[in-house]
Amino acid sequence: MSDVQRMRHGSSIGLPVTRRDGHDKVTGQARFAADNHPTGMLYAVLATSRIARGRVAFLDVAAARAHVGVVEVMVPGNRPALAIHPDDKSVPFSFKMDLLQDDRVRYAGQSIAVVIAETLEAATEGAALLAPRYAAEAVEVTLDAPGAFVPETVGVGAPAEQRHGDVEAGLDHAAHRIETTYETPLQFHNAMEPHGIVAAWDGDALSIDMPTQGLALTQMRIAAFFGIRMEDIHIRSPFIGGGFGSKLLAGPQVLGILAAKLVGRPVKLVLTRAQMYGPVTHRSATRQSLRLGAAADGQLTAIDHHVRTATSRHDDFLEPSGGISHSLYASPAIATTADAVRLDTGTPGFMRGPGEASGSIALESAMDEMAAACGIDPLEFRLRNYAEVEPITGKPFSSKALRDCYAQGATTFGWAGRPLAPRQMRDADGLLVGWGLGTAIFPAMMFQAEARAVLRRDGTGLVEAGIHDMGQGAWTAFAQIAADSLGLDIDQVEFRGGRSDLPNAGIAGGSGHTATAGGAIHAAGGQAIARLTELAVADPRSPLFGAGNVGVVARDGRLVRWDDESRGETYGDILARAGLDMVEGQGSAAADQATAEQYSLHAHGAVFAEVKVDPELGQVRVTRLVGAFAAGRIINPRMVRSQYYGGMIWGLSFALHEHAAMDVRTGRVMNADLAEYRVPVNADVPSVEAILVEEEDPHVNALGIKGVGEIGITGTAGAIANAVWHATGVRVRKFPIALEAFSGA
Amino acid sequence: MSTIWLQPKTLPEALAMLAADPALTPFAGGTDLYPAQAARFAWGEALPEAILDLGALPEFWGIAADATQWRIGAGATWAQLRDAALPAEFDVLRAASCQVGGAQIQNRGTIGGNLCNASPAADGVPPLLALDAAVELASLRGTRTLPLGKFLLGNRQTERAPDELLTAVLVPHRAGDLRSGFEKLGARHYLVISIVMVAAMVRMEAGRIAEAAIAVGACSAVAQRLPALEAALRGSRPGEVAVTPGQLDHLAPIDDARATGAYRREAALVLVRRLLARLALPEALVA
Amino acid sequence: MSMSVTLTVNRVPHTVQLDDPRVTLLDLLRERLDLTGTKKGCDRGQCGACTILLDGRRVNSCLALAISHDGAEIQTIEGLAEGGALHPVQAAFIAHDAFQCGFCTPGQIMSAIGLIDEGQAGEDPERVREGMSGNLCRCGAYRGITEAVIEATRSMAEDAQEKAA
Repeated sequence: MSDVQRMRHGSSIGLPVTRRDGHDKVTGQARFAADNHPTGMLYAVLATSRIARGRVAFLDVAAARAHVGVVEVMVPGNRPALAIHPDDKSVPFSFKMDLLQDDRVRYAGQSIAVVIAETLEAATEGAALLAPRYAAEAVEVTLDAPGAFVPETVGVGAPAEQRHGDVEAGLDHAAHRIETTYETPLQFHNAMEPHGIVAAWDGDALSIDMPTQGLALTQMRIAAFFGIRMEDIHIRSPFIGGGFGSKLLAGPQVLGILAAKLVGRPVKLVLTRAQMYGPVTHRSATRQSLRLGAAADGQLTAIDHHVRTATSRHDDFLEPSGGISHSLYASPAIATTADAVRLDTGTPGFMRGPGEASGSIALESAMDEMAAACGIDPLEFRLRNYAEVEPITGKPFSSKALRDCYAQGATTFGWAGRPLAPRQMRDADGLLVGWGLGTAIFPAMMFQAEARAVLRRDGTGLVEAGIHDMGQGAWTAFAQIAADSLGLDIDQVEFRGGRSDLPNAGIAGGSGHTATAGGAIHAAGGQAIARLTELAVADPRSPLFGAGNVGVVARDGRLVRWDDESRGETYGDILARAGLDMVEGQGSAAADQATAEQYSLHAHGAVFAEVKVDPELGQVRVTRLVGAFAAGRIINPRMVRSQYYGGMIWGLSFALHEHAAMDVRTGRVMNADLAEYRVPVNADVPSVEAILVEEEDPHVNALGIKGVGEIGITGTAGAIANAVWHATGVRVRKFPIALEAFSGA
Repeated sequence: MSTIWLQPKTLPEALAMLAADPALTPFAGGTDLYPAQAARFAWGEALPEAILDLGALPEFWGIAADATQWRIGAGATWAQLRDAALPAEFDVLRAASCQVGGAQIQNRGTIGGNLCNASPAADGVPPLLALDAAVELASLRGTRTLPLGKFLLGNRQTERAPDELLTAVLVPHRAGDLRSGFEKLGARHYLVISIVMVAAMVRMEAGRIAEAAIAVGACSAVAQRLPALEAALRGSRPGEVAVTPGQLDHLAPIDDARATGAYRREAALVLVRRLLARLALPEALVA
Repeated sequence: MSMSVTLTVNRVPHTVQLDDPRVTLLDLLRERLDLTGTKKGCDRGQCGACTILLDGRRVNSCLALAISHDGAEIQTIEGLAEGGALHPVQAAFIAHDAFQCGFCTPGQIMSAIGLIDEGQAGEDPERVREGMSGNLCRCGAYRGITEAVIEATRSMAEDAQEKAA
């Protein structure tokens, strides 16, 4: 079987095919959830809390209900019953929710009522007429809140404390020591597409248009809430207008389902932009204290990485920022610890590179500080501390082409000749110029997925998996994998995804979707081919008779003998002779525990940044970004480059732009819009380049894929921060780097 | 949002509507009204009741000169100001117009709306202060003209009475070797709300500064001229008079989510120096 | 209060009865004309996803009241491809992978057409980036967007020259 699999690859995988959903997306035909409009549909609008903690004392429901066009106002008193409490978290990756269960307010922006009307305008006006009154309580919204505690786990079940070697001894014996603290801000995903839903009930059956990164999980969660069967819930999510972790599960959209139940008509509920700064998760602020020790030759002797983060008062998600220190740089002693405070905010969650992004900017900054302390070039310093095995576990890497990443990135960027001291370079306009480096790393994760593949007598294929496209190129990459798995041209394979009535393809998260669902598709196609092969090799009338499974190759719609490609026949011929219309294969893929125990599984990269800083105003502009990444097999280099660009721009944003400013008295986000929550605009990104470094990984999974969606944000943010230091001589440890960071420098 | 929408076809009709219901919210480009409305909605505040749509008023549009002054209709968009054939002293306003929001905003936002909205960060204010602009206010009671500096009272506060409409911006004619320019500092390279703005217009005579008008925005509730600096510059050669922090003392920049007050003060000084240096260059006439 | 507004959208006249004067051009297109290619990303003029051409100029359709624009000529993403042939900007967006999730894409494309028509940016990348900065892309497809706009600018200029010749 293994030879068959290996040979089948190559015709479609690896090609820079343009997006198969491209035509729909450039012509406006791609239907996102909120573009649907079933007959009889009503509009629901959320009313949200302006206080962050307390009770809703009064809502003028009568005024809202009296407004022309308003059909109903849903409040705790008339909200349809749910089968489980909104705080139930039995479904994986779920968080406690606010579904009008009572009058309590747990954070600003929490839903307190839903107004349902014939038009969007009437629903909006109705919501404004509710004129809520509150009994407000004092709030805590900063990392200095009282009651810090040590959590048992961070992220998804990772131990909050991990140790290897003796950190204190390592620090004691170090020739160079640094102790620094970095602060990263509260961030919100801000996908361009607001969270929305169109929900329609038909008896106990439910039809939903909603962007989700996890069709089956969402289905499971909704089934639990409403006490109905998963198979009675049909979710369509063909296009996700950006998710970044915020659309993993049904969020406040469940209120749209409740509204539809209450009024007995289809309902559309779309969050306003401002409403995306409360109930749809976020990345917590962090304060990270790093202690590094190094010997005189620049070898690290210890890494101590402590993370203070925050979760909500009512639920737990702890940004696992320390994890990055486990796997990146060789050190005989490593310790990562965490503590946290509880705040009157929505619960944090998965935001692109959860833990890795925030941890990376701190670790890369600290590494840069240590390189400077040792008087060593930052690239040379990283090479001296290159991890040949995973530092905290001692496990070998399944593959690691990071040296190639450093080398290729440095060459393309022109790193050689970089002055060691800061503030040495200026451009013709007198701007300070600096170069910085950061190492990128991201775990190669696998979840669970299933797929189905069919070969039809007409020579075409059909592959089905409930995959999710949120811009990473799922429609294209999976079609490429599907085509190769069936030995067909991509245009001969019908590929179905983005719906809940297809095999469960897991989640689009953790940069593991292509590996996991791709693995399932690959296996399903393999099984279909194997079944077809069984038919052929057992049939005396076939030129493949007696060839055996191992001796057959599937290519271009034909099965041919491995040792003599002139001997073979088409799929159609085999099926026709067998009197079959089709042959079907099922496939699945999941994380392999044995592999994970044996190897450390990570993608790597090196990011080089050039910045220019106005010496008087402190304005920073990133003039060049070059990233070189090794992430195993590349299914589609065009789309992978775009993923890297996007990740690197997120890194740029992390270092220089985005942060939510919290009003500490009210607990409200003061910049809950896209004018003041400053994601980068086109003019902020002059030049970005991504190099795809070749890497073959025989261990990580069947296809050798490591995932590319999140790694770009790591490394980049630190590279920019380090370039800013190199330009100015000022080490900024609070992100994003503010204009005033250089005052008086 | 409102349930009442009125679209007068003439100015008298508009003024009558406003006199009858001074609570009407005048509406032109919508570039300030909608964001403000969304912010109000987000925090559960009441929405405006009724809209007076100024889009069909012929008196609002057009940029024209008479014997004494330029008359810019209040409905002139940033794009129109950007593209209009105006003399060199208007370079300052043209440069500001190019940097308000993105191109889509420039095609909709109006100068009248920018002034009436009276944000401390209004990009139109410093250039017009530097140009000694006045505003024309009309009501059924009559028409009055106010210097812009008198019209703007504070953050989101103006002299406009509830029954008045701002109908035009008036800019006196000038002659001579005029140079003007604008500097804007924001936290993005484009599509950004100003942290500091500096607008300046100078008239040169025989190599000396005969007249200087400099205004700084986003560093006080209302953008401010710098009279001490202007007086010091008068009669000097470019570069001869140093710009000192004391000349900016009367600014009152605040700390907010965009920047600290201390930074704003420093940045304003830097931008004033840079802009004056740039205007002193003969090439500034060409640029 | 019932009012009607007549708009020419993608060369087709539409008369719409409005029961409510608050309807924005964006919501009119999306909710009443089923032209959902134009997207709502912020509903307050800060993201550009709703960019359309209104009487030939690019504007945020979320900032305009529909009722104000009786008689206006509107072009949306749905009206670009003629007889199945993509507009040069659309083709360039695919060729340069100028989008990922695709949600901001209709607005980016309409904005690009407006920019090219304004004729100010030409093929200067810096000016194209500025001219396209009214359109946010959270996926970070800016490099492809800039390249696509420059290529489309060039190819449209060549087409215009050929036609003139």
